[in-house]
Amino acid sequence: MLVSYNWLKDYLGEDLPAVDKVVDLLTVHSFEVESAQEKENDTIIDIKVLPDRAGDCLSHRGVARELATLLNKNLAFDPLNVTVHLPVSNQFKITITEDNLCTRFMVAHMTGVTVGPSPEWLVERLSAIGQRSINNIVDATNYVMYAVGQPLHAYDADFFTKTSDGKWHFLIRQAKTGESLPLLKDKNALDERNIILSGSELVIADGEKDLAIGLAGVKGGEYAGVSAHTKNIILEAAHFDATSVRQTARRHGIATDAVKRFENNPSEFLPPLALNNITDLIGKIAGGKLEGVFDMYPNPVTAKSVLVRTEKVNQVLGLSLESVEIKTVLKRLGATVEEVESGFLVTSPLERNDLLLEVNYIEEVGRIHGLSNIVSIKPVSAILESINANYFYSQKIRHILLDQGFSEVMTSSFRKQDEIQLQNALASDKEFLRSSLLPTLDEVLMQNAQNVDVLGLRDIRVFEIGNVFKKKGNRIEENLVLALGVQTKKTGHTPADDKILNTTLEALRENGIVSGGEGSKGLCEIDLKTVIEDLPVPTKYEVVEMGREVTYKTFSFYPAIVRDIALWADSTINKEKIRKIIESSAGSLCQRITLFDEFAKEGRVSYAFRLVFQSYDKTLTDVEVEPYMEMIYKSVKDAGFESR
Amino acid sequence: MIQNKNSKGHQHPITIMIDEINNIFSEIGFVFAEGPEVETEVYNFDRLNVAKDHPSRDMQDTFWLKPEDVEFPTVLRTHTSPVQARYMESHEPPIRIIVPGKVFRNETTDATHEAQFYQFEGLYIDKDVNLGHLKGVLEYFLSRLFKGQTEIRFRPSYFPFVEPGLEVDMRIVDGDSKLSGRWIEIMGAGMVHPNVLRDSGIDPEKYSGFAFGVGVDRLVMMRYGIDDIRLLYSGDLRLVNQF
Repeated sequence: MLVSYNWLKDYLGEDLPAVDKVVDLLTVHSFEVESAQEKENDTIIDIKVLPDRAGDCLSHRGVARELATLLNKNLAFDPLNVTVHLPVSNQFKITITEDNLCTRFMVAHMTGVTVGPSPEWLVERLSAIGQRSINNIVDATNYVMYAVGQPLHAYDADFFTKTSDGKWHFLIRQAKTGESLPLLKDKNALDERNIILSGSELVIADGEKDLAIGLAGVKGGEYAGVSAHTKNIILEAAHFDATSVRQTARRHGIATDAVKRFENNPSEFLPPLALNNITDLIGKIAGGKLEGVFDMYPNPVTAKSVLVRTEKVNQVLGLSLESVEIKTVLKRLGATVEEVESGFLVTSPLERNDLLLEVNYIEEVGRIHGLSNIVSIKPVSAILESINANYFYSQKIRHILLDQGFSEVMTSSFRKQDEIQLQNALASDKEFLRSSLLPTLDEVLMQNAQNVDVLGLRDIRVFEIGNVFKKKGNRIEENLVLALGVQTKKTGHTPADDKILNTTLEALRENGIVSGGEGSKGLCEIDLKTVIEDLPVPTKYEVVEMGREVTYKTFSFYPAIVRDIALWADSTINKEKIRKIIESSAGSLCQRITLFDEFAKEGRVSYAFRLVFQSYDKTLTDVEVEPYMEMIYKSVKDAGFESR
Repeated sequence: MIQNKNSKGHQHPITIMIDEINNIFSEIGFVFAEGPEVETEVYNFDRLNVAKDHPSRDMQDTFWLKPEDVEFPTVLRTHTSPVQARYMESHEPPIRIIVPGKVFRNETTDATHEAQFYQFEGLYIDKDVNLGHLKGVLEYFLSRLFKGQTEIRFRPSYFPFVEPGLEVDMRIVDGDSKLSGRWIEIMGAGMVHPNVLRDSGIDPEKYSGFAFGVGVDRLVMMRYGIDDIRLLYSGDLRLVNQF
């Protein structure tokens, strides 16, 4: 949420520290701060309010209150700490048909306002947080929302059809299927937005016409909008169910600041305070008279007290706070604290909707007192109660396979086509869960087979250990399997692949991993669960090599060019020396030099090296590689070797 | 450079990391626990104190299985935390487990996001476990893993299944690695919420505990400087064979 530093000052006055200090305090004790940027004569702080605090801190007053708690100060001015004396109006009829979705609906009636531009200070406050000024009435509703967190809506009072006894009738009801609702134009949009309701939404209707005029908690309708000619207004401050607001907003793809607040369940105590604020503000900037308010609040919530025990606070936090210190912190929160035998009976400040359990207060004590005060307790060595057989044997299998030249891969659990389809897949080629590792492993073989030269390998040998999923009646069977794959030719599988596989399976058998698996078309899958069930219960994990140094290098995705060079050398010459001579002339594009053939004849040895050239920026051409090859031939010749 | 038929294969960096994690935690008595990747909504959300209408349950974030294929509402687990609940209901405290495993998120993939990745969970439940124990265990783990004295700091955070909820930053104090000397956000953690304990049959008045969750992929990417998470699941040996 964007917060204006100057706006915070309205509430904290001289107690507001410098921006850096504000950022530090919030970061350490409350919320992450994304950024703090100077803007004209203000600083805009972008705060990531935590979900459990979005009920009270998506507002400037909320953030100011949080800072006051951290600073151990009182707010110099608190718009929520005022006694509200609003005259009651008998000009309203309010019908709520879904009282679980709208728990409070409050309206204020003002007459004789003058709609016009907002005063400069108000335009400035709104523009600081990226909001454009519309007119003084609409700006006032936005200002109070960003100030105290209660969304508000203003109607032109003269547009409504009154009841036979002369009352405005607001009907809060479920939408009718197919009902249409023209929404208020977006600030910058030229077109009207007319939505068709599904029937699941909660709407506000002009009761006498039974006409939907607003999407409750989401967005106001075009109906009875405030215009330049408006004289008399009705202001609405309500409390709507968070889930219903969120679902409606999602269904219609509408993200408003009102939704952001209502979906986080702001306090039900807010509407009268917000109306008190806004009617006062409108009186100052647009004139007019408050005729009265009407409050439909059938089941008022009451603040409940929670027992917070000193011992429990210290037990969870690992601190040894005196009860007086805990009391001080709770009071700094603005809570009402009553001392009892084991601790305190605490009643939260009315705007906090997140303090319901003892542990919620324990968290508050921890972070306000300071999480940096927690002293670490070193763990002691302990005997393992059990060894995980699946993991133990998977590791054992890994090591056997690594010795057989197999590398481990991990592939996607999703397939384009298989047994079990997801209800909401990410992409059309990832709609199903894999029932076998083999199809993907075969693709992996083919891909890697094209890179044998870059990899410096003669053949591709891979394995994967992972879970697969099959249907079994109305449940899903999940199973741990091992898949092996070999590909010796770039074009596809040959009988040689299965031969390597079968040798490998034999090696597993020799090491006690017995399965009925057999290589077929270069692939083999083994049900590991069954295999492991028959193995002895492990008693100790193998020793692990820790933190082996590996320098990872980003690799090129461009195709490589391969060149071979064969030469005769005297049998006394070290082949490493020859390789170095080649390397020194091969240039930086040469990624790999592999000795792939050697044989001795008449006191000489023939060596054949394979050179792989590859660029990180482009596909290389023969022309770019040729000069290096010529250099290599020359340096080999200069060193006295005869190339073949 | 020179390789031939008999050269050794290469282990995937994710399983190398899990092996080191298990080794470090096994020395202080943390058991390697596991659970299914296809998980019921009850274990993935309800039993972890995630509200019925919590946004994370939305289709936008979670993969759901088709209702006709399953007896109960079922998801691809979005975290390894359901194993906390499964383990607690079948074991008596003291409980010390780590849960490395694959998890799934229904989000668009890019260099730092994958629809599948690895996480590991830590859980310790006993009498009088407090935040000091959490701090000590994490310092021990990170110092061992990064081979240098590592300090941590807690910042407030929020996860439904812990309270207090914490964000954990680490700083490698000594050593000359490129990671040394700066604060790095490394994991979420906290004290197990009393509702989670109670729902798993453990009396929160008698026992308390901590839990934490770390991205294994993130540890791998940090340690080796891998810049694209998708490479880890591509099956490309140009990555794997560097390990």
